[in-house]
Amino acid sequence: MVEEEKRTEEEKADKERRRIKSGAAMRDLMTRYYLEAKAAEGTERHIAWITSGAPVEPLIAFDVIPVYPENHGAMCGAAHMNVELCEAAEARGFSRDLCSYARGDIGSAITKGGPIGGLPRPTFLVACNNICNTVFKWYEELSRFFGVPLFIYDTPFVRGDLPQHIADYSLRQLEEYISFLEDITGKGYDEKKFMEVAARSFLASSLWKEVLVCNEHRPAPMTCFDAFILMAPIVTLRGTQEVVDFYQGLLQEMRQRVEEGIGILPSEKYRLLWDNIPVWYEMRNLGRLFMELEACLVADTYTSAWTFEGVDAERPLASMARIYAEVYLNINLERMADKIEALARRFQVDGMVMHSNRSCKPYSLGQYDLAKEFTRRTGKPVLIIEADHTDSRWYNRAEVENRIRDYVENLLGQDALV
Amino acid sequence: MEAQSAVEECLARWRNPYPYLAGLREKGERLIAYFCSYVPEEIIHAAGFTPVRIMGAMRTITHADAHLQAYCCSLARTDLDMALEGELDFLEGAVFVQTCDTMMRLSDIWRRNTSFPFHGDLVLPIRMGEDISLPFIREEVRRFRSRVEEYLGRMIGDEALAESVRIYNRNRRLAERLYALRRERRGVVDGLTSAACLVSGFWMRREDHNRMLQDLLEEWERKEAVDDGRVPLLVSGSTCTTPDLYELLQELGAEVVDDDLCSGHRYFDAYADESLDPEEALARRLWERVNCPAKHQCIEDRATRLLKQVGDSGAKGVVFYLQSFCEPHLFDIPYLRKRLQDEMGVPSLVLESELQSFSRGQLRTRLQAFLEMGSDLGM
Repeated sequence: MVEEEKRTEEEKADKERRRIKSGAAMRDLMTRYYLEAKAAEGTERHIAWITSGAPVEPLIAFDVIPVYPENHGAMCGAAHMNVELCEAAEARGFSRDLCSYARGDIGSAITKGGPIGGLPRPTFLVACNNICNTVFKWYEELSRFFGVPLFIYDTPFVRGDLPQHIADYSLRQLEEYISFLEDITGKGYDEKKFMEVAARSFLASSLWKEVLVCNEHRPAPMTCFDAFILMAPIVTLRGTQEVVDFYQGLLQEMRQRVEEGIGILPSEKYRLLWDNIPVWYEMRNLGRLFMELEACLVADTYTSAWTFEGVDAERPLASMARIYAEVYLNINLERMADKIEALARRFQVDGMVMHSNRSCKPYSLGQYDLAKEFTRRTGKPVLIIEADHTDSRWYNRAEVENRIRDYVENLLGQDALV
Repeated sequence: MEAQSAVEECLARWRNPYPYLAGLREKGERLIAYFCSYVPEEIIHAAGFTPVRIMGAMRTITHADAHLQAYCCSLARTDLDMALEGELDFLEGAVFVQTCDTMMRLSDIWRRNTSFPFHGDLVLPIRMGEDISLPFIREEVRRFRSRVEEYLGRMIGDEALAESVRIYNRNRRLAERLYALRRERRGVVDGLTSAACLVSGFWMRREDHNRMLQDLLEEWERKEAVDDGRVPLLVSGSTCTTPDLYELLQELGAEVVDDDLCSGHRYFDAYADESLDPEEALARRLWERVNCPAKHQCIEDRATRLLKQVGDSGAKGVVFYLQSFCEPHLFDIPYLRKRLQDEMGVPSLVLESELQSFSRGQLRTRLQAFLEMGSDLGM
C-alpha cells in the first residue's frame, strides 16, 4: 500500500517535472488579449477580424486590435462547442460541406455562442487567401453580416520560384493595405513605428523557430500538440513586445529541458511528423494515445508556417510581400514535398501522420501524392487519418485510434532516418 | 443545313462529347483541354490547336480515388479518372486555371500522374476588375502565350491572335443572339435546345460552331413567338455536364429562359476589344468579364446581377445547380436565396450534383416538388 502510494507520488512528481511551465504565461497573455479585445467593443478603438495567414503587422502599427476567427474556432473546437455553432449556420442555409471554422464563426456571429460569448464586433475585416480561397468567401459573408469594409490581400498561387509579378502585385497591395488603414483609422502611417513592429514580428518568429528546433533533441521537450497551443501568440499578436517576451521565456525553458534531458513523454520510442491542422476537439485523446504508444509527434507542417525565412529587416514590406505569398499552403506539391522531407530529416522521424481534413481542401487535396512521395524519398511509412478540424460529427474515434495503434505497432524494426 | 438534325447532333454531343473529341483528333486536330471559362482560348486557337472543354462525366470512379479524397467535387474526380484511365489520350495536354483550391491542387496531381506532352497553368488574381490587379493579369496572359509558343516551337503572330480574337468575339455575339431569342421570343427555341447549341461549341472548332449558330439563328429569327404556357425558370451554378436537368425541366412543363452558369451565360460574357493589341484585349476581357463565384465580389455584386437577370428574363423561379463540396458556390447560396425571396418573392431550389452517383429519378422528384410548390405560389 505504502509502495503504491510512493509510486503514485513519484509519477505525479515526474509529470510535474515534464509539464511545460510557460503554458501558464501563455494562458495569461491570451486571456489579457481576449479581455482587452472584448472590452474594446463599442469604444473608439478599431477591431479588425483577420485571417491567420494575413499580415497582422500593419494592424499592430496602427494600434488596431486584431481578432482571429480561426483561433477562436480552434478554441470552440477544443471546448467541444463548435458543432452547435456550426448548426446555427447550417440552419441559415450554410452547407455542412463548408469549412467548419467558417460555419462555426458565422454561427457564433449570429448566436454570440462559444466559450467566451462570441468575438467582439469588428469595425473592419482583413482576409488573405494565402491559406485558402475559403477565407475570402467567408469574409464576404461577414462583411455582409456586420456591414463593415473588407480588405482583400490577394496572394496568387506560387508554382516553383516566386515570380516577380506576384512579388510586385503583393507589394502594391501591402502599400494599398496601409492606405486603407490610414483612411479607416484617420491616422497617418508612421514608418518608424511600423519598422519597430516588423522588427519585433521577425524577432518573435525567429524565437518561435528556435523553440520548434529544440525538438531535434531526443527526447523531444514538447510534442507538436503542445506547439499547437503555444503558437497562439505568434499567430495573433506578433509584432508586440509581449510576444517577444513570451517566446524568450519559452525558449529558455525549452533549452533548459534539452540540457536536463526532460522529455515531454515518459518514454519516447518513435518520432513522428504531423501534417495538417490539429483535430482540435480530439487533442487530449490523441495526445494520450500517442503517449501510451511511446510515439512523439516531434514536428509538423502547421506551426512552422509562422517561422519566417530570409527576412530583410531594412525592407520589411518587400520581405512581407514575399513571405506571405510563399507560405506552405500557397506553393506547389513538389515544394511542399521538399519542406516535408527537410522536416523529416531535421527531426529524424520514423514516419508521418497526415490528417485528411474535410474542412481544408488546400491542405488535404494532394496528401495522397505527398504521402507516396514522402515514402519514396525517405523510406518511411505514412498514415492518413480522416477527420475535420472542428466538426466532430465527421470523426470516428474508434476507427482512427485503431489505425494509429496498428500503424505505430508496425513501426517496430524500422531503421532510423539519417 | 437541317436545323433539326443539327440540334440533335448538339444534344448527342452534350450527352457524351468524348467520342466527338476522339473524332476531331482522328481528323488531325490537335486538342488542348481546358476546364474553366477563364482560359483565353484565343491563344490556344491562334497557335493552331483546338481548345476543347472537359466537364466531367457520369461514371464510377476507379483510379482517381488514389489521388483525391471523396470530399472533392465530382468534376475534378471524374476528369482525373478519365485521364488516368487513358480515355483522354486524344489530348495533347490541358490548361489549369487557379479558380478554386481544388483546381489549384488538381493541376499538380494531374501533371505528376499523367504523361500529356503539354501542361499549362494560369494563375489569376481574385481581385478582378480592380486597377491593382490589371498588370498582374497582363503578365499571366503573356506568360501563358509564351508557354504555348514554347510547346508549339514557334511564335504566335499578333495577326493570328487578332484573327482568333475576332472569331471568338463573333461566337460571343452569336451566343448573345441565341440567348436574346430564347429570352425574348418565347416558344421559338427552347431552353434545352439553346443550351445544347451553346455547349456543343466546347467540342467543335470555333469556326464550325460559328457557322452552325449563324445558320440556326437565321432560320429561328424568322419565326414569331408563341405562348408555350411553360413556367419560366433561371438556372444558376457551375456547369451542366449533361442535358438531364434541362430535359427534366422540359418534361415537367418548365422552361429555362436564362442562366448564370459557367457553361452558359458566364462563358461568353464580355468581348475582347478588337481595337487593342490582342494580348492586351484578352487580359482586359478576363479582368472585366462577369466574376465567377471563385473570384472576390464587390459586395452585393453577384446578387444584384442575378436579380436583374431574373427580372429581365421574366423567370418565376431559380434552380441552383451546384457540385457537391463546391465552396465558392455554396457560400453564396444563403444570401442569393434570401435576396431573391425578400426583394422579388422569387422561390429557389438548391440541387447538388455528384457525377459518380447521379440519379435522374431523384433529380426529377426534387424538381417536380419544387414546381408543384411553385404553382401554389403562383409561379
